[in-house]
Amino acid sequence: MSHQPNATGAAARAADTLLRSVGGRRVLLRMPSPAAASDVTEQLGIATPEFQDIPLDPVVFRKARAVVTGSRPAKWELLVSATAVKRIVGSLAYASASVLFENASGVLAGDELFEILSATEEQVFDQPYVYRLVLYAPLAQTT
Amino acid sequence: MQNAKDTFYTMLQGRLAMLNPSRTIVVRGVARPGTLVEENELPTASVPVDTFRLQWTKLQVNSVSPLPQVAMECSIQYATDGTSGQGSMDRGRLLAAMDAELASALAAEPRSEQKMNYSGASVGVAPAAMGTNVFWSDPVFGAAAVLDERLERTATVQVYSHQEAGEL
Repeated sequence: MSHQPNATGAAARAADTLLRSVGGRRVLLRMPSPAAASDVTEQLGIATPEFQDIPLDPVVFRKARAVVTGSRPAKWELLVSATAVKRIVGSLAYASASVLFENASGVLAGDELFEILSATEEQVFDQPYVYRLVLYAPLAQTT
Repeated sequence: MQNAKDTFYTMLQGRLAMLNPSRTIVVRGVARPGTLVEENELPTASVPVDTFRLQWTKLQVNSVSPLPQVAMECSIQYATDGTSGQGSMDRGRLLAAMDAELASALAAEPRSEQKMNYSGASVGVAPAAMGTNVFWSDPVFGAAAVLDERLERTATVQVYSHQEAGEL
């Protein structure tokens, strides 16, 4: 008999509890609508897609690059509950979390829209229990 | 100028898709030919491989003639990681294939295209034909750059057009 499902569930719940206990907050994952297959104007920047903001919680922010030099934007890390990601991947019918984050146009926290630079996951028994997103604060931060 | 940029892009995308229909990219869930203009897409930090990415860089306007001549530099970047099934050992061949496709698309006759205005176009509505043509130079291929297992190259093309009266 395998104990893996219980172990992965426990790890995800423990991660959620930890995220909440260290000030877990809610951010919005900004997803563009699917592209229009036969509309060349989207490829030319004339038509723009609609966006959908999807709540993501609990998450924890951490500044990864403390000093902003020159034109280099500030860099942040966002630890995200795997439970929340799994729920969104399922409801939006994405193939995986990596596809979800690849398609997202950014993370909206307060009034700032952050660009997703990379997304990695921490696993136990091949199942993720927390995701780590590296974010860039854009030069034009106000949405 | 924007009309010339749009016309050149649609011309190049069409020719490259004819040469290699299997070179596609998935953008927001939809597959389309593997050519894009970076400034027209959502900002992203990731670099799509096996795709031609156009950037408009330099611009020069010669206002001496009644129809000012516009020269724009189009920087075309492309990269490949090879195929994982080949252990990425085919990345040189894949880059060479992209070199050949780009050179062939730009050298094909005719070497000009009627300028089109896409501002009123949409699904089922064709762009408006304009009175002048867009034409271009041969590409200049830069040195291949190696970034870990990734090979990438930038080619530049001069794109010429005439600025028609009232055109933005």
